[in-house]
Amino acid sequence: MTFFLQQLVSGISIGAIYSLLAVGYALVYSVYNFTNWAFDAFMVTGAFAAFYGITLFFMPFAVAIVFSIVMTVGLALFVETTAYRPLRARQAPRLFMMISAMGASLAAVNLANILFGGAFRKFPDIATGAYRIAGVSVGKMDLFAAAFSCVVLSLLWWFLERTKLGLGVRASALDTVTAGIMGVNNNKIALIIFGISGVLSAVAGVFFGAKYAVFPYLGLVTIKAMIGSIIGGIGSLVGAVLGSLLLGILETMISSYVSSVYRDLISFSILVLVLLFFPSGLMGAKRVDKL
Amino acid sequence: MPRLRSIRNKIGALSLFLGCAAVCSAWPWSKDEIKLGFVAQVTGPDSYVGQAAKLALEDRVKEVNAKGGINGKKINLIIYDSRGESTDAVAAAKRLITQDGVVGIIGPEWSGAAIPLGPIAEAGKVPIITTTASNIKVTLNDNGSVKPYMFRTCFIDPYQGFALANYAYKDLGKRKAAFIYDVGAAYSAGILQYFEAEFTRLGGKVVAKEGYQANDTEFRAQISKVGQAAPDCLIVPTATYRDIALISKQSEALGLKFQFLGVDGWVADELLAMAGKELEGCYLTSGLSTEDAQFKDYNAQFFAKHHIKCQIYAYYALDAMYALEYAAKVSLDKTGKVDSATMKNAIENMKDVQLFTSKLTFEPNTHNPHNKPISILTIKNSKWVTVKTYKPE
Repeated sequence: MTFFLQQLVSGISIGAIYSLLAVGYALVYSVYNFTNWAFDAFMVTGAFAAFYGITLFFMPFAVAIVFSIVMTVGLALFVETTAYRPLRARQAPRLFMMISAMGASLAAVNLANILFGGAFRKFPDIATGAYRIAGVSVGKMDLFAAAFSCVVLSLLWWFLERTKLGLGVRASALDTVTAGIMGVNNNKIALIIFGISGVLSAVAGVFFGAKYAVFPYLGLVTIKAMIGSIIGGIGSLVGAVLGSLLLGILETMISSYVSSVYRDLISFSILVLVLLFFPSGLMGAKRVDKL
Repeated sequence: MPRLRSIRNKIGALSLFLGCAAVCSAWPWSKDEIKLGFVAQVTGPDSYVGQAAKLALEDRVKEVNAKGGINGKKINLIIYDSRGESTDAVAAAKRLITQDGVVGIIGPEWSGAAIPLGPIAEAGKVPIITTTASNIKVTLNDNGSVKPYMFRTCFIDPYQGFALANYAYKDLGKRKAAFIYDVGAAYSAGILQYFEAEFTRLGGKVVAKEGYQANDTEFRAQISKVGQAAPDCLIVPTATYRDIALISKQSEALGLKFQFLGVDGWVADELLAMAGKELEGCYLTSGLSTEDAQFKDYNAQFFAKHHIKCQIYAYYALDAMYALEYAAKVSLDKTGKVDSATMKNAIENMKDVQLFTSKLTFEPNTHNPHNKPISILTIKNSKWVTVKTYKPE
């Protein structure tokens, strides 16, 4: 039982990181109906900004997170205004936007590789060690990351549900064209959405870097987040969190009880099965009131 | 219409220019240079492997050329990125041989990328000296015959697996071993195979084998499972120091203590910064250590110039460069020109030639370094310390 609980805790901690990114994917998809492949670039920016904020500029961790968010949001808004907005203005097909996103992603990651080198950097110790609860080890950083992620996601929920701007975002998500006709400024909504994506990916990047390491290709994990988002029902924020947690737990349980060698094979086979029976993902049926 | 014609003329002129440029770049204009290639992963998840080596080789080329080159001929080093992928390595090797006309190639670093290059080297009659590709199939065909144009400067996986198993069983008294290994890496799986064969022959047992995929960062499931098997040593045969750094840190976070055993892929000073504390007292096999006194001055100069630490991948690449320089000189002395087939024979027959790290002789029937010593290193106070060195007779 202790072994099972330990795996459950590990799975949730992995899923928590996926969740932050998956929500970012879902948010962009819900409004613009395309997958923002540049998320890995945002995440890498977040991780490196916090790392150098602490090691070069001696910032306290909290300040480094804010610095990381500012830098990442800046990049997200830059990508939105230079790579996506011109394409939207020309009513380019969604596929072109995805390709544009891939280009932005590759450019940013390779730039990081050239500027900082490919070495793996140890993030300064923030919350090391673990609590032992009934024989189960719970990492302090895992707890902190999970708690912080919950706060960020709660704030996002409050923003979307309780503010006028959030209402605009929800209106755009429901029907972008009609919302525009009704007076919602879609370009402003795009900036808000990409700003939020920047915040989420910065936080994910910082915690990923702190838990594992900081390196230019750490954004490879975003593919898992996207899968979590698809399992949950792409476009659904609650589904993104649920799908990511499920994926994290599933991967860990398969590694523990079946074989770590077959982890991805079985995980992705289950993904295919989920999509066969639920083509819109687990929460996809509730697309109309997803926000 | 005139406007259209003008555009068409411009496009035509541009095409002509680009065509000429392509032909010029591929044409071996300069007979006074020695064209060498380097296939390295300078981008991709493990780009640290190629980045220091690239800088070290560029420095070496400048140094040789500043002294007048080899018999008056300057070295021109052409570098292509493999990203650690076999497809990119194959494309790079083909381009170097067929378009650039190189007479020798250094790299790639990973066995998976180096194995497919044998037929390409043979078809182009250009010697390839891999740096750290240690799988036996890099230089040997399935039937055991040697790939005539493939060489390596590192030792091979069976040798490393054999030495580590002997050290674990005889010197450390370990009887139950467990593995966490990269299932997709020929290097990792090869060492597992040879360690297990020797360890079980000696009387030991491998009680757990847990795999992971390249670029994984989360290992707690595998670590917990290995912990249940209660091994008295845990071997992590990874070519990427990040993997062992994360495995050791996550083990500690789970409250599990292991006697870690490792391989030469661990040897990077960055590992000491990432997990030197968690890996204190581990043991690993390696041909080299960055702490060796002979590299002290070189390391200091390298760091002062490039602001990154030098590492063993650069040392092995320099060994390959020195070997090609030697071969080019032999070819020039014998034939008056740089001929890749003559260079291949020179490499094959070289005896105790002083390279960057040591003197080297290639075994003609395997193209592996002959009697290359292997050391057992440990980490003490976050520094590499050599515990024992095996010198094959």
